[in-house]
Amino acid sequence: MAKATRTRSQSRSKRTATVNRDSVSKGRDWSRVRFLCVAALIAVVWGSLWARAFSLQVMDTRELGRRALRQHLTSELVTGRRGEILDRDNRVLASTLAIKSVFVRPYEVKSPYTVSVRLASILGVDPKFIRKKIRKGRNFVWIKRKIDDRAAAAVKKLGLKGVYLQKEFGRIYPNKMLCGNLLGYVGVDEKGLAGIEYAFNKTLTGSSSKFVVQRDAAGRRLFLQGAEETTPLQGDNIALTIDSEIQFFAEQAVQHAVEVYDAKWGGAMVVDVASGDILAWAQAPMFNPNVYGQYSASQRRDRIAQDALEMGSTIKPFLMAAALEEKIIEPDSLVFCENGKWRLHKVRIRDTKKLQWLTAKKVLSYSSNIGTAKIGLDLGATKYRDYLVRLGFGKKAALPLAGQSSGILRPLNRWTQIDLANAAFGQGFAATMPQLAEAYLALANGGVRKPLRLVKNFSLNEKVLNENSQRIFSEETAHTVLKMMADVVDNGTGKSAAIAGVSIGGKTGTAQKASARGGYGDKYTSSFVGLVPAENPRFITLVVVDEPAKNYYGSKVAAPAFKEIAMRHMALNGTLPDSEQSRLLADTASTERKPQYGERRFGVDGQPQASGKSVPDLRGKSIRFALEVYARQGVIPSVKGSGAFVKKQQPAAGAKWSAGNKQQYILWLSEQS
Amino acid sequence: MADNRQDTTISMDWILLIAVLCVLAFGLIMVLSSSGIMAERNFGSKYHFFQRQLMFAGIGLVIMGFCATLPKRLIYLLHYPLLALSICALIVTLTPLGVKVKGASRWISFGPFSVQPMEFAKISLVLYLSYFFSTKQELVKTFSKGVLPPFIITATLCGLLLLQPDFGGAAVLAALLFFMCWYGGTRPLYLGGSGLLALGAGYLLIVQSPYRFRRLLAFLDPFKDADSISYQLVQSLYAFGSGGFSGQGLGAGKQKLFYLPEAHNDFIMAVVGEELGFLGMSLFFILMGTILFRAFTVSYRQTELRDKFITFGLALIISLGAVLNLAVVMGAAPPKGIAMPFMSYGGSNLIAMLLCTGLLLNFSRTQVEREGRGRK
Repeated sequence: MAKATRTRSQSRSKRTATVNRDSVSKGRDWSRVRFLCVAALIAVVWGSLWARAFSLQVMDTRELGRRALRQHLTSELVTGRRGEILDRDNRVLASTLAIKSVFVRPYEVKSPYTVSVRLASILGVDPKFIRKKIRKGRNFVWIKRKIDDRAAAAVKKLGLKGVYLQKEFGRIYPNKMLCGNLLGYVGVDEKGLAGIEYAFNKTLTGSSSKFVVQRDAAGRRLFLQGAEETTPLQGDNIALTIDSEIQFFAEQAVQHAVEVYDAKWGGAMVVDVASGDILAWAQAPMFNPNVYGQYSASQRRDRIAQDALEMGSTIKPFLMAAALEEKIIEPDSLVFCENGKWRLHKVRIRDTKKLQWLTAKKVLSYSSNIGTAKIGLDLGATKYRDYLVRLGFGKKAALPLAGQSSGILRPLNRWTQIDLANAAFGQGFAATMPQLAEAYLALANGGVRKPLRLVKNFSLNEKVLNENSQRIFSEETAHTVLKMMADVVDNGTGKSAAIAGVSIGGKTGTAQKASARGGYGDKYTSSFVGLVPAENPRFITLVVVDEPAKNYYGSKVAAPAFKEIAMRHMALNGTLPDSEQSRLLADTASTERKPQYGERRFGVDGQPQASGKSVPDLRGKSIRFALEVYARQGVIPSVKGSGAFVKKQQPAAGAKWSAGNKQQYILWLSEQS
Repeated sequence: MADNRQDTTISMDWILLIAVLCVLAFGLIMVLSSSGIMAERNFGSKYHFFQRQLMFAGIGLVIMGFCATLPKRLIYLLHYPLLALSICALIVTLTPLGVKVKGASRWISFGPFSVQPMEFAKISLVLYLSYFFSTKQELVKTFSKGVLPPFIITATLCGLLLLQPDFGGAAVLAALLFFMCWYGGTRPLYLGGSGLLALGAGYLLIVQSPYRFRRLLAFLDPFKDADSISYQLVQSLYAFGSGGFSGQGLGAGKQKLFYLPEAHNDFIMAVVGEELGFLGMSLFFILMGTILFRAFTVSYRQTELRDKFITFGLALIISLGAVLNLAVVMGAAPPKGIAMPFMSYGGSNLIAMLLCTGLLLNFSRTQVEREGRGRK
């Protein structure tokens, strides 16, 4: 302002000077006046601009500054990398990788047409869709989130102006379908939506912090020192009790049963008696959480936890145990089985065979409904139901999973004699597989309940723990029932589960399913529960096959699946007798299923060969592939450099996989294969 | 005139020179501050634009020194050749030889560098108009010989600029013609003609695209279309506003982080406003004001008619650049691409401005001499 006035005052003084000289030469004076007019005009404008700066910077600073601040700062939820889900041997079941996403800064794009066409061919989207996005956005627009490494490398190679790659985290399940229904899946925003991912979302997500961060016009956070990655907030890992290998056998066996008998669904569980650890949680059809969008809600469902089924005769051992415990029967007490047909209050109960007088032991072996119903009637509804409740039926299993079913166990006042008779052989009340497993665990554990474990680093609260650790049966009763169950496999309905040289206890189950019209229809649930070894069980294996179409007897449908799981399990532990081992080998050879990922093939020495004893040559392979190979061995390599392909590996191809985690595995990456 | 040359160095307008060097240094610092982050992201080096600008400044200073010592006789000979060269260069920009950036072909490429002929066309026009008005003083009042030729020449240049299109450049040339005619003594009636020329050019543009018309008037209420048409202006106003009285601190501005398009270029003053606040802006107003004041003073003190016109035109070139740039950046005029003399990034503009300075310094030598003689 001072300047302006100076100019003006100076011009004024000059003008007076000129005016004095005006009389001498008119023409020149006019030109001076005109000159000064221009100079004055510019001086005035200059002054006004200065005033404008004052008004913007001093008068309006608060309002404008506030608006500017609002666009510079963004409160951002910064979440660390999601924790991994591991199996009991720390093999990776779910992991989080940095995945690239493509975005465009439209104002930098010279030719939307070329950019859209080139990107479209790589990303597999409609070029028109990309053009529309480019034209719409001003500063920043996502084209496609989470593209694969190959596409990312191709986009980078194009080097199009205005096209950028942004690193994001993405969840991968390297074993694809393995354990899929149990693991659940995460949405695009890294939030667990089902299964373990959902139940342990908080633990896995770990700490997340809300920061107020500075951002630039593209919405990127600003790191003044160029430090792009800060990961102090990583989520915790979850270690399951699942053993990937047993899980894999179980899944194969169940899938096989479902295919062969054209069933709707099949499930299997393997429980370690000593620890209560669930080693396998298998079901078929399977679900691949990497591409959860391709499955329907019912396919994603973890039916083992969420669906209660009428289990049928697999319940009978608990009735026997209760009756023995209450001294209603002895193992050798005789029960008349009415030649296979019996009317109880107008309701007909049938056996599959015409049986007469049987010992209690044989009632279980032949799975006589009539015999069991009679024992049940002798025991009485109150006592029987009380045992069922104490075994955990009618109440959600104490597993850290969401959406578990508590099964159906009717209140006592509604139990008629017929209900009691039905319940004795497992009809009219429903249970989930974990409930059944927990009840059998009590039997196998000498009559004392023991909580199941699914997640290693998760402990039940004391109240639940006490409730789940009560003694239900005397040790003697438990032992007697186990012996009776051994007879089922040796001489009764469970013969098809027998493995030569191994003592196995078991119980078959064939339940008629309640039909929608009321009463029971022509659909069945076949089941088998096996205990290995019979008298002092170390493992419990449950197999349930729902609605098999070609045959429905538990002995035919479920027992062979149990046998397959048990044999391979024992082979893995090195406890399978030689004769059976060779049969297993023959079986494996005859089945034409291709060895899938995670499968262990057995060599002559009976040792699992895995997929090679030595580290394969991974150079030139995609990083995703390499990670899977390592994950198969339970190895998490450190990755150096950037790119989609392996350039170099350490240790080199041919080296032995090291036992334990002593060896450092390193992969160097490059952009090109 | 030859005998005046001995005291070249002593009699030069030192204040003008020092003020120009100050603003030049100021500009270099601001170019570094405003382009650093963008340059690092797009070119992999923080100093990309700074280094180039430093080189342009070096070249410009050499040219300035050359022009300051050039014999005046030579300058008097240059008006026609330069005018022809300018017209040719402008035509070349319209051919495939021209470089198209953001839909406007304003540049001719020479390998890693591009030249914007408009910056030099301004100087050519000034030299031509000065020649015309000084040698044809007696014809000025007649239409066909005194008014038509300069109008036709200017209209040709403006037309070429509008074809690029470069509305800002055409407006500056029209304004130059207007003020030169005014100074030269053209009748107000004819002078109105140059106003009409500008209006006509504006009308042409509006007819060409209504969008541009909306853009033209958006500065009246910038926050209405803050996200689209007046995005640049709003971002610029945010920059000034968040600068406040004392600024965010040199280098600490946020608006250059891709919010302000062309932060190192046309909108460099917004970065000055944000980082150095009203204090920094005032320093600039004083420095640049000094340059403008000294430039007009040089012109005022000339005795030769032609020298008066030339220096007046050169002072106008600098003034119009400074005034229009600030008016656009602070939302007092419709947006057009006009660089801030000595500050904005860009080789052509910087070199042209230093060339103007060189010529002004050249003429400032004779001014002192003559005034001194006058005082005697």
